[in-house]
Amino acid sequence: MTPAPGTVCVEMRGIWKHFPGVVANHDIDLDLRHGEVHALLGENGAGKSTLMNILSGIYQPDAGYIRLNGQIVHFRSPAQAIACGIGMVHQHFRLVEMLTAAENIHLGWNDTPWRITAQALARRTLDYCAEFGLHVDPNARIWQLSTGEQQRVEILRVLARGARVLILDEPTSVLTPNEAEELFRVIQGLAASGRSVVLITHKLDEVLAASDCVTVLRNGRVVAHSRTSACDQRSLANQLIGQEFVSRLHRREQAPGELVLDMRQVCALNDRGLPALRNLSLHLREGEILGIAGVAGNGQSELAEVLSGLRRIDKGSIKVDGADLTRSTPVGFVNAGVGHIPEDRLGMGLVSVFTITDNAILRKYKFPPIARGLRIDGRAASSYSQNIVARSDVKTPSLKTLVRQLSGGNQQRLLAGREMQVASRLLIAVHPTQGLDVGATEEVRRVLMEHRNNGSAVLLISEDLDEILIMSDRIAVIYNGEIAGEFDAAQAKRAEIGLLMGGARPSREAA
Amino acid sequence: MNVLSGLLAAAIASGTVIALAALGELLAERSGVQNLGLEGVMAMGALTAIASELLVPNPALGVLAAIGIGLLLGLIYATATVAFRANQVLCGLGLAFLGTGLSGRLGAPLSGLRAPVPLQPVRIPWLADIPLIGNALFNQPLLGYFAYFILPAAITFVLMHTRHGLNLRAVGENPSAADACGVPVVRLRFVYTCIGCILAALGGAFITLSFTPSWIEGITAGRGWIAIALVIFGTWRPLPVVLGALLFGAITSLGFVAQIQGWGIPASFLGMLPYLATILLMAIPYAMKSRAFRRLGTSPAALGVPYVREGE
Amino acid sequence: MNASPRSGLFSAWQLRRRADVPVWLDLLARLAAIALALLLVGIVLKLSGLDPLALGRKALAQTLGSAYGLQQALILATPLAMTGLAVALGMRMRLWNIGAEGQLYLGAFFATALALFVEGPPGVMLVLMFFAGALGGAVWVLVPALLRAYWNINEIITTLLLNFVSMLLVTHFAIGPWRDTGASILSATRRLPYEIPVLGNSYLTAGVFIPVILALLLNLILQNTRWGYEVRVIGGSRGVAEFAGIPVLRHILLVMLFSGALAGLAGMIEVSATAHRLSGTISNNYGYMGIIVAALANGSPVGVLIAAFWLAVLLNAGIVLQTSGLSVSAMLAINGVILIFAAVGEVASQYRLVRRDMAAASEPATSGAGREAEPVLVSSQDMEPIPPAEKSPR
Repeated sequence: MTPAPGTVCVEMRGIWKHFPGVVANHDIDLDLRHGEVHALLGENGAGKSTLMNILSGIYQPDAGYIRLNGQIVHFRSPAQAIACGIGMVHQHFRLVEMLTAAENIHLGWNDTPWRITAQALARRTLDYCAEFGLHVDPNARIWQLSTGEQQRVEILRVLARGARVLILDEPTSVLTPNEAEELFRVIQGLAASGRSVVLITHKLDEVLAASDCVTVLRNGRVVAHSRTSACDQRSLANQLIGQEFVSRLHRREQAPGELVLDMRQVCALNDRGLPALRNLSLHLREGEILGIAGVAGNGQSELAEVLSGLRRIDKGSIKVDGADLTRSTPVGFVNAGVGHIPEDRLGMGLVSVFTITDNAILRKYKFPPIARGLRIDGRAASSYSQNIVARSDVKTPSLKTLVRQLSGGNQQRLLAGREMQVASRLLIAVHPTQGLDVGATEEVRRVLMEHRNNGSAVLLISEDLDEILIMSDRIAVIYNGEIAGEFDAAQAKRAEIGLLMGGARPSREAA
Repeated sequence: MNVLSGLLAAAIASGTVIALAALGELLAERSGVQNLGLEGVMAMGALTAIASELLVPNPALGVLAAIGIGLLLGLIYATATVAFRANQVLCGLGLAFLGTGLSGRLGAPLSGLRAPVPLQPVRIPWLADIPLIGNALFNQPLLGYFAYFILPAAITFVLMHTRHGLNLRAVGENPSAADACGVPVVRLRFVYTCIGCILAALGGAFITLSFTPSWIEGITAGRGWIAIALVIFGTWRPLPVVLGALLFGAITSLGFVAQIQGWGIPASFLGMLPYLATILLMAIPYAMKSRAFRRLGTSPAALGVPYVREGE
Repeated sequence: MNASPRSGLFSAWQLRRRADVPVWLDLLARLAAIALALLLVGIVLKLSGLDPLALGRKALAQTLGSAYGLQQALILATPLAMTGLAVALGMRMRLWNIGAEGQLYLGAFFATALALFVEGPPGVMLVLMFFAGALGGAVWVLVPALLRAYWNINEIITTLLLNFVSMLLVTHFAIGPWRDTGASILSATRRLPYEIPVLGNSYLTAGVFIPVILALLLNLILQNTRWGYEVRVIGGSRGVAEFAGIPVLRHILLVMLFSGALAGLAGMIEVSATAHRLSGTISNNYGYMGIIVAALANGSPVGVLIAAFWLAVLLNAGIVLQTSGLSVSAMLAINGVILIFAAVGEVASQYRLVRRDMAAASEPATSGAGREAEPVLVSSQDMEPIPPAEKSPR
């Protein structure tokens, strides 16, 4: 009794959801149909993940109801949603690192036999691989797999349990362009078999390429719903942001100045003792932005770390303005005028339980005027902090506000402002717009561009290829700890970069 | 030879106490809950067992009484830490104080009394005749066989070879992943916390019903803490934990033997041996330089962290 | 378009997590927890035939209600405050020093050794004993500190195990080589020849000022100095501390050594101001009480002074009531209950009850504020051990 494609399988009506200080979902209605790929489009913070978390049983809606195949359902836990055939693949994988792929797939599942052996699980896993056309090594532990492979494990896990509704949350954020295409093919296949697929994304081209219909969310509300065939980039962009949006990034035409960063043949190990950077060389001049493109896990974190004194270098050298910083501590890098906006805002950059001032002085508390002998001069600290807050336009009632009370955008402004204050020569920005809404993203980019216009060098490491293309003067692709290719931004071709990101080595032909 | 086999018997008996508590804590910690209150639970188990015996001279009832008190304390601790998600270190210490203090207070009138009917050893005919180790290992009370053979085997099997064990391990490593797969995280943590307390209480009962077998305040002498340390030493796997318990028992017995044999070391210093040895044992897994071993020896990743489902 | 058939399973009320817990609420939750714990204890006492209210009144009269009682409270508060400061200091960096008890013993031990075997003018000797006491405590925490700093070995267990060792050590000497051979005292050393001077006509000694001075000093260091700032950063987030290049290992060692020294001082003060002899019972679980004090004070040095005084009053009440059926063990048990309730109370203060339908309309939509800033509270809720450093060493 397979339901006919096109019939409604899931109805969500009047969904409301609150979190402290914000309404994430505001009276939302949504229909999902069999055999359809439904894109849920919205910027960061629009409420898409929240809505789908409700559908998959992780959150409870504050109001509203869900109908599955005509019947009202109420999921009090993910287990119940799974049992009803709804499965979600999250942006941040829900995988147990220490267990194998096969074990993760069979976790918490009543179909798994009560007695298990590694071979039996492996055999079952391979059967599923064949059935759905996704391959993984059943006995590999999750921490040994690449992000693309981990995603496949997640998808298999959900499909194996008979998911008829499959929700994918920003799946391409961890994939190369090629892998993303492969994923879309798989999605099409799943839809063709009668399943309903929800694709949560903030990327317009994905919506146009992969979906049958699209619902646009903004600030927790549904603003539009249409067949994808009736949309184009511009209309979607308008609905997404609510107005004609013109990027105001102003790149000053300037020739790069003196050499700031001279990084040669650097080798470094990652946390597991495996090589993360292999004979990596980079150079950067005043007044230019070098964008490092690549899929996560190819050495980006380690690159940022060696350039801020957080990771030891086994071979090679790092020079900033001619000074050898190869064995330098973080303080040494700050002294040399190097700042670092880390990707982990709250885990590395800001102490969430500290005040704004306490966070603002993190890089400068050892130096006068903030330091006075053994003490910290409170007034000097406050004025330094005030300066950063004003220049970065951090919206806060007081300097004594705790950072955790600030919005994500404000936190990023504070962090970026603090680092730019010390980054007179070189600024390393890692995923600086991650998790920010459109307005905040634009601001951060504008501020980085200004920094570059004023003569500093900026190293931009980002997984968002579009961001790299918009911002950079030069682009380098990092793959497996090496620079796979370097281009002037003007001559960069998306396709070629995509190939390099995935490890292919295309023959260099005349552009 | 007699000395040696006597030493062995004492070691095994002493080790039983710790093995029971340590295996219980192993299970709780595998589910992600650390119970620092074992010392208190053990003390209450010890007291309850002997008190029950003094009322009705039947060791089986004493054991049951200990199980009961272990369950009760486990429920209290689990409610505070798993249901209310309160800080596990503070609650654990609180439980330790509560159990130690309460048992001291309630047990005062029983101080010095002996258990009328200690747990009787059950001799396994053919195996007990093995020279040297036979009498020690195969002529012990049922709880002993439980602690050294049945329980470790059962735990190993369940943990590594069953679906349930897989779910349990996942809960301790990444409860949100387990939750997303439909594993009942809260329920599992609750159950295994209680099981941990029950086993700890059984360990205490073994002291007053077999090992000593009498009651005095402070009879647990820190064994609850040592049990927790042994779980770390045994890298959360049953076999090394039991071996560690045995080792600890041997060291303790060595102390007694040294005293009896008059080797000249003051009793106090011999008494320090077990604790110092435990610290040393804890350091061993970390002193191993091999990275592979280090990864093997890491605690369940979510140990001690209360689980809150996103959105609550 | 509007909501709907509301499922009967939804209740009208809902627990919502707060974005931020105001200080007064946190305090209220702690006080409420203590009150509830005492209430529970009262009920238990009632059920066992005692009259809690009468006991309470009697206790209060004899503790806070008289000059003698107040002084006894201050005297008892002294070691509690010292061990409380020791534990609180560690707490600020998420280190758990459960060995304050043992460090107290060793501090007393070192001070006694000096007093019994070295001669000199009293003023000088007392100063030397002061440092000896601090040294004793620091020495006793050294091994656990090293194990924690370099190998991330759980300091809760290592410090605690040494408590047992310390007690055996001190008892050995007190009833053995250092025993007072004069008739009456069987299990303690001879009377120490040096004492911390008494204040006027009271029972108090100058020792009562030491925790106050040290608490203020500690507060000053933590809030106003560079080193104190670094300690707070590590306690706030180890990742950020490493990011800023703060030498975490060094700080772990120093903080633990200072913590041990503070507990050792508690022992020195006890033996030279109150007990005047070293014995195996120099401490009445003061080290463990210090944990309660630090937890109630949430790591604040000045809060420790208040909590220590309060706990001293409670304990003295227990001693007063000893004749009426409560004992030292019972006090320990009661403190355990308080600790559990305080831990739960802390979590309770993070939530509030909201009516479901009003909840839908009340909150304004603010952009971007959503889930990124997950509430991380300054409370023992966050006192998870610092995760081990994963980076390759520089």
